[in-house]
Amino acid sequence: MDNFYQIISLLADFTDPRKRIFVGYLFLSLFIAFLWLILFKKTTISIALSKVFDPKVFFSKSARADYKIFIINRIFSLFISPLLVTQIAIATAIYFLLHRQDFIQSGYFNDTKIGTVVFLFTVFMFIIDDLTKYLMHRWMHQFHFLWAIHKVHHSAETLTPLTVYRVHPLEGILYSFRGAISQGIAISLFVFLFGNLVDLYTIVGVNVLVFIFHITGSNLRHSHITISYWPWLERFLISPAQHQLHHSIAEEHYDKNYGAALAVWDWMFGSLHLSEENKKLKFGLMQHEASSTNLVDIYTRPFKDIAKIITKQFGRARKLTNWVFGN
Amino acid sequence: MLKTKLKYTTFAIAVTMMGSIAAADGHSAMNYGPFPVTVKGYTGDATNSVSYSGQIARHVLHDSLKVLAGRGDGGANSSALKAEMLSYFSGSEKNKAILAPGSKDEFIIKQGTLNEISSGKNIEGKFYNGPMLAWPGSMKGREVALHMIDRASTANKGVDAENGYNWPQLISKFTMGAMAYSQAVDNYLDEKLDAGTKPNNKPYKDGKHYTGKEHVWDEGFGYFGAAAHTLSLTADQAYGIAKRKDMASADANGDGLVDLKSEMVFGPAYYAAAFDRSGSKSTNYLNNIMKAYVDGRMVITSADGAILTDGQRQEIKNYASVIESNWEQVLAEAVFKYAGSAYKDISKVQEDGADQAKAYNAYVKHWGELKGFSMALQSGRNNLGETAGTMNDLILFGPVTLDNSYVTSVTSNGDFKREKRMTWSDYQLNLLKVQKLMVDKFGIKALVNNKLGDIAALAGKLGDASSAETD
Repeated sequence: MDNFYQIISLLADFTDPRKRIFVGYLFLSLFIAFLWLILFKKTTISIALSKVFDPKVFFSKSARADYKIFIINRIFSLFISPLLVTQIAIATAIYFLLHRQDFIQSGYFNDTKIGTVVFLFTVFMFIIDDLTKYLMHRWMHQFHFLWAIHKVHHSAETLTPLTVYRVHPLEGILYSFRGAISQGIAISLFVFLFGNLVDLYTIVGVNVLVFIFHITGSNLRHSHITISYWPWLERFLISPAQHQLHHSIAEEHYDKNYGAALAVWDWMFGSLHLSEENKKLKFGLMQHEASSTNLVDIYTRPFKDIAKIITKQFGRARKLTNWVFGN
Repeated sequence: MLKTKLKYTTFAIAVTMMGSIAAADGHSAMNYGPFPVTVKGYTGDATNSVSYSGQIARHVLHDSLKVLAGRGDGGANSSALKAEMLSYFSGSEKNKAILAPGSKDEFIIKQGTLNEISSGKNIEGKFYNGPMLAWPGSMKGREVALHMIDRASTANKGVDAENGYNWPQLISKFTMGAMAYSQAVDNYLDEKLDAGTKPNNKPYKDGKHYTGKEHVWDEGFGYFGAAAHTLSLTADQAYGIAKRKDMASADANGDGLVDLKSEMVFGPAYYAAAFDRSGSKSTNYLNNIMKAYVDGRMVITSADGAILTDGQRQEIKNYASVIESNWEQVLAEAVFKYAGSAYKDISKVQEDGADQAKAYNAYVKHWGELKGFSMALQSGRNNLGETAGTMNDLILFGPVTLDNSYVTSVTSNGDFKREKRMTWSDYQLNLLKVQKLMVDKFGIKALVNNKLGDIAALAGKLGDASSAETD
């Protein structure tokens, strides 16, 4: 019986509306994909069906590796999660720190209308979460030792909604830390300034803006359904096609479209790339960079690569020391 | 025939015993008394061995002293007022009027003078007299109380706004610990439960109708200040009795009067009830403490006037430990609550357009409760060590006042000196840390006025920050 509950708990994300792979969101993503193919691509229903449920995608070696990684990571997280710093700890620390500042006092805006506070908090939480995702994602690509970890995600050669979980556990830890920091900042700042008026607009327990992101097909970004938006909209919101382009193996697509929900960060910081009509993309990495299917390689390569980077840096430091002091 | 009779008798005894076991388990209400007289060789008329009127008298002295502490007129009546306060605190000879609790509307109190409860009692003789480092001047507990009484007598309506002291609150909350809590957990439920002290096979004093251990336990109970029928009350009802609003719940014997000796709810029990009915509403302090008192008394009664076995003494010590830990938590809950109140008051004091004098007055009152309870917490059996030091450093000797100064010392003639300053924000941070300390060290759960609760609630709403999703 215990085993039964453990297996069920591994699949809990499918029933949690806070997670992208919640069945409701998956279903809506499928629905959007159908509509897109039939209405905009003018395909027949049967072609749309075969396209959406393409077994070459869902049963590819890469996708099967995704499924295994999903389960393995769930087990890892059972052990790792309790050790991670919580948003409460960070929020409390920042809340204490804010009391030390002379230029602002606690509860300074606590006569603000409650609706305004809840609106502001809901928007601020969404924006800070999205911005920190953008920054983190950008760093994961730009710093060698972070790329060594993040390339596990980019080794996927076919994209399915479960590719969102194709993550090395070290990246999971970094992302948890990011989440705790962004929530910690938002919570502490708002409670400090607005007191107990702070609340969040939610639908099914989720920030209403995150909910909108999910019901409008957030799962399609990791899929083979190339939905693009109007160019003007792709400057504000990342379309599935734009994210698929981020996964492209083509050199001209490197280091583009880091954004999660909002494209404005990419636009502001020069990493935006609009989607390209009718361009066939190839996903994944060069064979020498990472394996898409070998689980041992997927889990161990980041450590080996980081070790290489450290050794190389030490070598450079030694050369520099020798050069300075002469040896 | 004889066999049948025996069967019926056995059955009747079994039913009676099951009834009392059920009562002991708390399944049905059990009053604290009457309990039978078990003293061997007792020849008097008494049929009830329960007696704790001296403790009730001290609760009444405490309530009355609090009333007096607010009667100063800024100096003119100081010597007369001080003498009157001292007559309640230290004097024991003459009979005195009960200044509180008094009758209110239909809540009619039976007694009007102290001697109708018990004569010859005072507070000072039962006041904690260890070092009290929470107060400036390196004084002992009794000296601190006398210092407070002296200052209250010269204050205007009990308030020293300049230094930030509300004397009725400080005196009352400190006394609730330094007298009631200290006497119960550090005397009656501590060394007096030892084998060599007040044995159960002898009367407490020659000629008394209660044994040594029975009376020790009863006196320990008396200091808690609960009505004898508390186990049949909800926390709301006990609270209503203390507030003199719920006559129906108070009047257990239905005589239309509230007998202070058995039907009233006093300070310590009132606060236990107050926390059970507020905050997270997840605590059961009043019932836990009351049940331990009743169960402990039943163990002693069951010895039937014989010396307690080691097992029985261990059993009542276990009950004593339940009482102590719950009572300590109640005091920590109070420190937590009033730290939160003072925090909120500071925000109001700083608000533009707010009635600053009113907000400051509320702040000084709540700070008095905070400080008083923090001193109460340090008057028990446990040496709180570093926790006490940290708490005192955070709360300070006096609150941060309107010019941001706070009391740092006391002169040889008892005047306060304010030689340091702190910003409001820094002091609010101290109060937050006090709340955190109470949770960390005492594991309290009611958490009234939880200033960090908003953070936890929002974090809960946002959900787990740890997520293995990536793009």
